[in-house]
This record gives sequence, C-alpha cells and structure tokens, in this order.
Amino acid sequence: MARKSAFLLLSALLSVLAPVDALWPQPRSITTGSSALRLSGGFDIVIGSVRNPPSDLHQAVDRTSGFLKNDKLERLVVGRGDVDRAAVAKAKTLSRLTLSLGKGATARSIAAEAQKAVEERDEGYVLDVPADGSGATLTANSTLGLFRGLTTFSQLWYQSGSTTYTIEAPIHIEDSPAFPYRGYMLDTARNFFPVSDIKRAIDAMSWVKINQFHWHIVDSQSFPLQVPGFLELSQKGAYSSSMVYTPQDVKDIVSYAGARGIDVLVEIDTPGHTSVISKSHPEHIACAEATPWASFANEPPAGQLRLTSDATAKFTSDLLVAVSKLFPSTMLSTGGDEINASCYAQDAETQAALNATGQTFLQALNSFTQKTHGALKKAGKTPVVWEEMVLDFNVTLSPETIALVWISSQNVKGVAQKGHKLVHAASDFFYLDCGGGGWVGANPNGNSWCDPFKTWQKAYTFDPVANLTVDEAKLVLGGQHLLWTEQSGPSNLDPISWPRAASSAELFWTGPGLNVTSVLPRLHDLSFRFQQRGVHTIPLQPLWCALRPGACDLTA
Amino acid sequence: MVIVVFLCLLILAPFPSSLGLWPIPRGLSAGTATVKLSSSFDIHVAFNNVPADLDDAIHRIKTHLKTDTFERLVVGRGSADANSVHRAFSIKDLTLSLTQNVTIRPVAVEVNTVGIEDRDESYILTIPAKGTQATLVANSTLGLFRGLSTFDFMWYHFDGEKYILNAPLRITDSPAFPYRGFSFDTSRNFYPVSDIKRTLDAMSWVKLNVLYWHIADSQAFPLQVAAFPELAARGAYSQEEIYTESDIKSVVKYANERGIDVVMELDTPGHTTAIGMAHPEHIACFAKSPWTKYANEPPAGQLRIASADTVNFAKKLFQSAIDLLDGTMMSSGGDEVNLPCWNEDEDTLAALEQNNQTIAQALDQFVQEVQGVMNANGKMPFIKSDMVLEHNVTVLNNTGVVVWKSSLDAVSVAQRGLRFIHQPSNYFYLDCGAGDWVGNNVLGNSWCDPFKTWQRAYSFDPYANLTTDQQHLVLGGQMPIWSEQSSSENLDQIVWPRLAAGAEVFWTGATLPDGNPRLGVNATSGVNAFARLNEVRYRLVDRGVKAIALQPKWCALRPGLCDVDS
Repeated sequence: MARKSAFLLLSALLSVLAPVDALWPQPRSITTGSSALRLSGGFDIVIGSVRNPPSDLHQAVDRTSGFLKNDKLERLVVGRGDVDRAAVAKAKTLSRLTLSLGKGATARSIAAEAQKAVEERDEGYVLDVPADGSGATLTANSTLGLFRGLTTFSQLWYQSGSTTYTIEAPIHIEDSPAFPYRGYMLDTARNFFPVSDIKRAIDAMSWVKINQFHWHIVDSQSFPLQVPGFLELSQKGAYSSSMVYTPQDVKDIVSYAGARGIDVLVEIDTPGHTSVISKSHPEHIACAEATPWASFANEPPAGQLRLTSDATAKFTSDLLVAVSKLFPSTMLSTGGDEINASCYAQDAETQAALNATGQTFLQALNSFTQKTHGALKKAGKTPVVWEEMVLDFNVTLSPETIALVWISSQNVKGVAQKGHKLVHAASDFFYLDCGGGGWVGANPNGNSWCDPFKTWQKAYTFDPVANLTVDEAKLVLGGQHLLWTEQSGPSNLDPISWPRAASSAELFWTGPGLNVTSVLPRLHDLSFRFQQRGVHTIPLQPLWCALRPGACDLTA
Repeated sequence: MVIVVFLCLLILAPFPSSLGLWPIPRGLSAGTATVKLSSSFDIHVAFNNVPADLDDAIHRIKTHLKTDTFERLVVGRGSADANSVHRAFSIKDLTLSLTQNVTIRPVAVEVNTVGIEDRDESYILTIPAKGTQATLVANSTLGLFRGLSTFDFMWYHFDGEKYILNAPLRITDSPAFPYRGFSFDTSRNFYPVSDIKRTLDAMSWVKLNVLYWHIADSQAFPLQVAAFPELAARGAYSQEEIYTESDIKSVVKYANERGIDVVMELDTPGHTTAIGMAHPEHIACFAKSPWTKYANEPPAGQLRIASADTVNFAKKLFQSAIDLLDGTMMSSGGDEVNLPCWNEDEDTLAALEQNNQTIAQALDQFVQEVQGVMNANGKMPFIKSDMVLEHNVTVLNNTGVVVWKSSLDAVSVAQRGLRFIHQPSNYFYLDCGAGDWVGNNVLGNSWCDPFKTWQRAYSFDPYANLTTDQQHLVLGGQMPIWSEQSSSENLDQIVWPRLAAGAEVFWTGATLPDGNPRLGVNATSGVNAFARLNEVRYRLVDRGVKAIALQPKWCALRPGLCDVDS
C-alpha cells in the first residue's frame, strides 16, 4: 500500500515534469499537452508592453525568429519528420508570441541585467503557448528573463517538410534557475582561440542558459591580452602579433556575451602561472623557465610573480586594475592555484626579501594578496580565487571573496566551512580536458593527471550540496565545466566541449535530481539542434540509438 | 678529447631535428644548408606517356607549394630563418624519372592490380645544397607518388618562400611493411563522401596505403549494391545517408590515385542486424532483447548461417560488392559472433537439424563459402582474428587475419602460419577512453579504456613476441575508428594526428635512418618524434584537416622543453 501510493506520487511528479523533448535545460515547472500546433507562415514575435525596448532585446527577437526558420530539426524518431506529417497537417497554427515585462519593471538592456552581481540577476520567466492557436505569451520581470524565455521558446519546435511544429501543446512554463552561477571556463593561453571561436562558444552557452563565461585568458605559456598601459606583456608574451585580444576584441566579446545574457569573468592568474610575464618584465618573475620544470611548476614553463617585492605587488595591482576596466563584470579572478614553494625557495631575490623582513612565504603571499585584492576592491570588483587560497595558504580574504573548487569535489566542504561562497569546478566531475593521455614529451605511457575522461553522465550526477549543512548549501553559487587547452585548440573546441558542457548547464539551472537515463533523449535533441546551428557536437551514441530512446540502455 | 666527444654527439644525433619528415625515411643523409624553391620552380617528368593520375598528383603538389603557409615551429617562426633563406640557393626543378625497363602504368593500377606484398613503393629523392636540380627516381609510378608525398610535406613557408634547412638531402626510402591502413566505420554514424576523401588526402600525405572500409554494421547499411538495393533503401539511416554505387567507385578511384587501396569489409555473419530491415528472413535474433545476451552492443542480429538461402544471399551480396570494387583484397569481418543468438533461433535450429550440422560446422561452411567468392574474384580474403582463434574456422591459406582484441593474439595467429595485420585495441583503437555510450550505464567506462595516445601507438613493436621465422607473416597494421561516439562532427579531431603514429610505425619499422632503434627511452621525446609529429599536426591544420593540438603551442615551438625530465 505504501509502495503503491509512493508510485502514484512518483507518476504524478513525472507528469508534471513531462519534458518537452527538445528543451535543455529542463524548466523547473512545466505542463504540456498532446496537441499538435504549428507556426503560421507569418509567425511573429512582438515586443508588447515593454517601454523603450533595448536594442539587444530586438536583436534577440530577430535571432529567435532566425532559429525558428533555420533550425530545421526533425524529431529524433524512426522516420524522422515524416512521422508527424499527418498529425501536423491538421494542426492549429500559432501566429504570434508577445513579450511583456511585469508591472513596474524597467527595460534595461539584457547586457546590463546580465552584468549585475551574480545573485542579483532576475532570469525568471513565464511562457504560455496555448493549443488553440491563440497568441503565445512570454512575461518576465527583466529583459534577461525575457531572453531566457526566448531561448526556451526557440527549442520547442521541430520541422517536418516545411512545417515548424510541436506535438505537445498546450505548454505552460514557469521557470527560473536553481543556482545563480552557471558557467563555462575557457583557457585561451595554452593554445589560442580566435574571437570567432569564442563567439560561437558564447552562442552555444546562451542556448543552454549558461550565464557566466569564465575567461582564463593568460597563463605561463602566453599572454594574449592587450592591456592598456601594459602593452609590452602581449607584445612579448603572445604567441604572435596576430594571436592577441585587443581591447576592441574584448569589448566586442563582452558585448556579444552580454547581449546573450552572459557575464564575462576574466581571470588573471597570480602569483603562479605567470612565467610569460618574464618576457617583458624579468624583474617580476621568480624561477622564470627554470629547469627541471617539474621542480618548479606543475607544467612547463616555470615562473611566478615575486610576491615579496613591493614593485611586483604594485605592478600586479596596477595590472589587475587596468584589466578590470576592460570588463564590466562585478567579479574578477586573481587565480591563485598551484603556487610552487620551491620556486620561491630557490629564488635569491625572494629569499633576500623574506630574510630582510622576517616574513615566511605564506606571510608574504598574504600581504601580496591583501595588496592586489585591496586594489581590486577599490576598482569595485569582487575577487574570485581558486580553492588553495582558501584551504592551503590561509590567506586573509575579504568575506565576499568567491572560491572556485577545482582540485576535488571533496574539498567543497572545507571551503564552505570557511564561510566563502563557492563555485563548483571540480576536476573529478567537470574538467573537459581529462582523459586525453599525457602531453609532456618522453613519457609514452603517461596518462592525463585527471583520468579518466569525464562523461556527460558523470557531470550530470554531481550533487551540488553533497555533505553540506543547510547553511553551507546557501554558499553554493553554482558551477561550471572547464576546458584547459594543453591538448585543445580551434580544431576541437566544439567537439570537446559539446554537448558535455550542457550537462552542468542543466544541473545548475534545473537543480539536481533528474534521472540521468531519462534525460538522454533530450540531450540528443539538444546536440542535434546545436549541429543545425553550426556547432560541431560529438555524437553520444550511434544514430540508431538516438532514434530509439531506451533501446540502447544497458538493460534494454 | 673534447672535440672527439662533440663529434660523437653529432653522429649520434638520429637526424636533424629541424627536418620535419613523417614518416621518417628509412635511408637519409642530410646536410645543414638552407635551400629554397625558385619562383619559377617546376616539376618535370623525364618520360613520355605520363599517367593522368601522376600528372594530377604533381599539380596538387604545385598547388600546395602555393597555398601552404606552415612556418617552422620555432620561437619567432619563419622570421627565425629569414637570413639564411635570403642567402639560400634556389632549386629550379624537380625531375621525376623511372628506372629503365619498367612499364609505365597509372598509380591507381599499381595499387589496385598488384598484390599488397608485390608493390614497389621505393624511391630516391635528392635535393642539392648548391645546385638547381632536384631528382626523384623510382621503379614505379607508385614509388614516384610516395617520393612526391615526401617532397610535398617537407617545406617551410616564410614571406613567400618555401625552404628547408637540411640540404643536401638524399632520401633512399621504401616501407618496412607493405600494409599500412586506417579502418573506418561508416555505419554507427554516417560520414559524407567529402569526409572520406579529405581523410584519404591526409592518409596519402603520411604514406598510408589502405582504407579498410567497415562500411556497414548492425545499426545501418549505407552501402548500395545492385543485387540488393533494398538493403540501403531500408537499412540506411536515411536516403541521404547512403553510399551509392557511383559514390563507392568515386571513393575507390580517389583512393587509388593517391596510392591507397580500398579493402571493403562486409562484416559477417555477426554485425548484420540492419540487413534485417529489408530481409528479416536472413537475420536471427533481430533486435532481440535483452541485447546484452545476444550481441556485444545493440541492436542484436546475425545472419542465419545454417540457412542455404541466407548463405546464397551472402555470396550474392559479396559478389555484388566486388563488382563495384577494384583492388586485390576484401574482408568478411567475422568478429564477435554470439552463440545464444543462434541457439535460440528456431529457424537456425531447424536448419542445423536438417543439415545435421553443429553451429561450429555451419559457421565453418559459411566462412568457406564467402571466402570462395572473394577468392574466385581474385581478392585476398581478410578475416577478424576471433574467427580463427576462438571459432577455429577453416580459412584459405592466403587469408590475412586482422588481429584486434589484444596485441597478444598476434603470436597465436602467427603460430597458425597465417599472415596478419596488427589492429590491437590496446594500442591502436582511436575511439577508446570517452566513457561508455550505452544508456543507463551512468558511470560506465569505454570497454577499451584508456584513451590510446599517439605515444602509445608509436611505442608498438610489430615484432613483439614473434620468432624471427614468424616475422615475415606481419603484413603491417592499421588504426581503426569505431564510430559509436564519432561522426562527421569530430572525425578529423579523433583521427589526427594520432593516425600518423601508426603510419610511421609501419612505414619506418624497427629502425631509424641511422640504424638506431625507432623505439627506445627517448623515442617520444620532444626533440625526436614529438617534434616531427607537432609539425604534422600544424601542417594538417594548415591544409584544413582539424587535427587536435598535442601540446601547448609554447611546447611545440620549443622541442624538448616540455619533456617530462627537461
């Protein structure tokens, strides 16, 4: 009896959550019917009661109309679009979607809404698509919410012949994200990516409602960012004069992202991962390209900022402030991962300074961080750091500092116990680069340090609040997939990222708890839609399986 | 004393590190002079009746010399060589000639009419340090083609010039193994012809010479054959995802003209579910559940080997495919047959009883029948190793065995005296390491974990565990891509540059040009193979093949500095 009622409850839940096949991430509340509904030839998206709609909202509407015309995604079923031809032929037509803002809401640009502090963004929306052909409506309290709703709307439709349709009308969605931070990190220093690749990645992120592009823009290998006042860094440190991001490129990317509901969190990793600064400023770098590199760094080339030097601290602070002016985000990451003590132990200058002041290396790191973070704070930015700064180095951080947990998901608890807000970026779940084998030379049997490959299922089954108390759980801002690019470049950006990165996008939008097996058909749909839009996603299964949901389950 | 040591070091250096040849020629002497191509550089052929496909190859190279923009991987790139290029002698001409008394035949004919062990791919290429004439000599147009591939893939670009740093150059080259392949599954997911042709181009640049085309499988049957057009009509993923007869001919021609043979595999009797879409009468356990009991992956389904009708169908299918194919080789596959599938199939059981046969006997007879069709058409038959090692079927003496499960199986095949190619999953499978792809196996790993790095493939020893007497049985080897998790979207990235590792293993063989072993502690050092393979990767990208990066560019520009011990 108890079992039966539990079963009934479960089925009730399932019907409430009955997914529209093609939506990703799954809305947090959705009801659907079983009527066919098609878009009329003159289908139009109208910006209704929005006073002075911003231009990026107009552009978003135009892009959405473009997707409705050009996606041409046939349903993933044996027979594809033909299967629905008859049902769709008789269907009612939808001729209009009307957008409106809630009472009292001001129409700011999507970008301005997206660039607010991460917890202050309003991404909620209500989308209603009646089955009887009367107009569909989309309402939200911000243009950002409207944008999220448009993204959902564009995923509702399939193509059969020349007809664009759904077979699940009426559809009613009330949606908002479970977590405010849903990110994707790209390293553009190990190998360089042109602006066009970054924009395509931003498009893809926006389609799954990712709202934070974490841009690990420089590292020990190259410094592609042109910073006003510090042009020598990229002049000497970029891979070539064409492999740079000019301030105009950055502006372009930030605005492209903003118009797509995405904030850009730039990272200038300090004090480690800075070898390349030695090309223009050898005075600031300890153990620059010292060998054997394995004694001084986690990967070649070695080199870290001389954190005992006042001049270096000033240089770093000024650099961070100069960079901060290029990015409107409220956050900026100063990195702080993988600081190597031997590098400083064998650097005569650093040792002399420590001896002179009687400081330990950790004390020096602390005061260095106080200076750089102090400068950032003055510039109005919230600092973001990698987990070691919180867990290993006992650095005094301002309470609003956000920590990225990367080494292991096991370390989340420790960061939470220190009271810092945190973002999940654990290598054991979210690293897209793992499993490609070692990349250093003369190491024929070397494996990837974070073996094995992280499947989409692995990321999807992550529990964002595992082992956390209720209060600690409130510190979880969200999470992200990450691509470190030692073994990636423009050639494989799409297939190594997609559709895997969509799994964290749903996890942190919809929240945990969906069944990883039953979501596979939707992920196929998303992946095929990405392909229709020109993003080269990797296939998750043979097409035979994609056309037959469940038939390739282990137990089928 | 110091001078003597210095000289020894020079002699021991395996080859000049700035010479980006892949695969490394088997005989090589190189100098240290820079030479460039004259602005009027041209390629001439010193004989008449030049076959059209050789002429086409020459034109492709001349185009590459105009369009390639690959600059040497060094800090500063091409500008690092600007001064020496400026002062360099210019090569005005490459002249191709054949040794006397050979018959001039098209490259394609050398490939598709000559047995795999009888081809002559050798060539001698010379580039002077101070002269104007480069020469290429071979015993066949195929040899000339290989030499042209070397010439095609060796130049650095800078400021409108094409140059090398290692003249005078004399390359005396021929492959260590006759069979150097790539196995391509176009069934689990479909690839358009343009993808196959782009892959063939890249294969030819690293002197691979066999496309082993696993064209159909249980999931889809994209092959259109005249005898049974319904197989593709019903068994392909869609009408657009079919290889028509003219597609097949066009691929084979394209391959042959690039020195590449096409070995089509019609995998039988397992891996044939898709045939049941049009001919359910020939398929046992068609899409039967649970698939784990009846097949290694979904959907289950195997040919009814005990049925005379099915055997006749299979023979006719092979004949119809053969009618489309030039070449001297073909494969009937034969991996992963599943006994419960037949044991629970009433039709099969009835036929076995009627024939008074066991499954083993029926399987043996089936293999002999399809091998008979291949043999009658002059095709050397290939078969998967489990047919021989696990099912002990009778095969023709000239059969080539594809050793796939494990590298350790090679010895067992050799003990049977059969020739074979290496395709071990523990070294060469390009698809391993991306997690399981079946549903609801949430944290499942790839069955052949981990990912096979290029270093792993490169470290393969073709003669491992074999006696000297058995070594002649090794025809060569191939790296396969199985396409459960691959498609047009990621073909280049999953294949390149890793496939080039296999190309060098089987072209260069055991020893480097100086006689030192190819394998050894530092084989994959950044100053050795790694530096050259980084070049291959950047050259491929330059020509539009989306090969993955092997390292940060910082490392690629500084050979050796990213070694584990540097």
